[in-house]
Amino acid sequence: MTDPASNLLPATNEDTCGPYFPIYFADPALEDLTRFAPGVVGAAEGTRIILRGRVLDRHGELANGAVLEFWQTNARGVYRTPATQGDAGIDPWFDGYGRLRTASGAYEFRTILPGAAPARAPNITITIFSDGISRIVTQVFFDGQAGNDADPVLQSVGNDAPKLIARHDGRTASGAEVYVFDIVMAGPGETPFFDDLES
Amino acid sequence: MAKQGRILGIGPTDNTSDQRTPRQPLRLIPDIARASFVPVVPARYATNPHEWDMTRTAPDRPRADGVPIEVTGRVRSASGRPVAGALLEVWSANHYGRYRHVEDHSGLQLDDNHLGMGRVLTDEEGRYRFWAISPGAYLARPDIGRWRPKHIHISVTGGSSRLITQMYFPDEPNNASDPMAILMGDAFERNIGRLRDPQTAEVKEAYDFDIVVGGRSATFFE
Repeated sequence: MTDPASNLLPATNEDTCGPYFPIYFADPALEDLTRFAPGVVGAAEGTRIILRGRVLDRHGELANGAVLEFWQTNARGVYRTPATQGDAGIDPWFDGYGRLRTASGAYEFRTILPGAAPARAPNITITIFSDGISRIVTQVFFDGQAGNDADPVLQSVGNDAPKLIARHDGRTASGAEVYVFDIVMAGPGETPFFDDLES
Repeated sequence: MAKQGRILGIGPTDNTSDQRTPRQPLRLIPDIARASFVPVVPARYATNPHEWDMTRTAPDRPRADGVPIEVTGRVRSASGRPVAGALLEVWSANHYGRYRHVEDHSGLQLDDNHLGMGRVLTDEEGRYRFWAISPGAYLARPDIGRWRPKHIHISVTGGSSRLITQMYFPDEPNNASDPMAILMGDAFERNIGRLRDPQTAEVKEAYDFDIVVGGRSATFFE
């Protein structure tokens, strides 16, 4: 849907990540955002959580080999971006970007519960790459958060809103609250995904 | 009619694509939330100094089998602005079409001098350069005789959208039957490297591959 009158350059096509995204590119610091990096003194402020779940295909089978990327605010609801450089709400020990590759399709990401950005409920953007598809992206919310009812993204998906809300599984593990969120790529119960190129 | 999000295409003859492609149209993002969808990746990534040269596993190792190539290009936003400091993560098969990946069970020949993965950063003008072995095509679907054409995977982090793409090679016989190329249609041209003369005897072929990162959530990047 390129605007013919536009001066914009046509974007390079997204393509599938394929099954062989190099495990070599994995970075343990990006799989656990509660610490800055392994062995470094310095920890993110906020409630520690474990977000875990499964990436499922159209038949409810685990989708192996998916790469998940996470992007979120810190505990005070501030994204770390060029625009917030020097902001008093920045947590020096929290960047808010994470990534992992799951061989099996089950994932577990350690982070802190994001704070609410202005006019938003706490959420984490999840980008999914896998064999067979190009990038898909969604946002996950957390059960029981006060702002969920008024969040514009949750409202925009109407009756599908529950599909974007991670449930607390009633447990803590190693001092972290455990939330469960399955990503259903296709078929019954399909997770709502968003169009960040055309929106 | 209200604007709708894209409906993602399903790669023909690709079972995995059929199993994994969302069937619902993508949802439009409310304006107020749009910027929140673009990750700003901290610039603490390091690339090892030799990783730009994927024709060998380390500077003191011999060249891998096959044709050494150079790939250069610029990474720009849709408005033409260079994306400086973008991270390119690059991976590709060896000369025989085999990935050095624990989940590649094709049984094709491995090459002890080929790793096939490396990272480079763009400079202030958005330029990048790497060397690689021209990857082999491989039979992706033996049951129906469909080959994957020669391609190099490139992941670009930086700019107004997260991009994973593939560079294809001009005039390859398998290009036309590739499921993703079919989905791209005429736009597939953008994903083909442009052959040019090599400027060093160290490589046998050279390609220009300019990358434009799409996305309209350009708030932080323009």
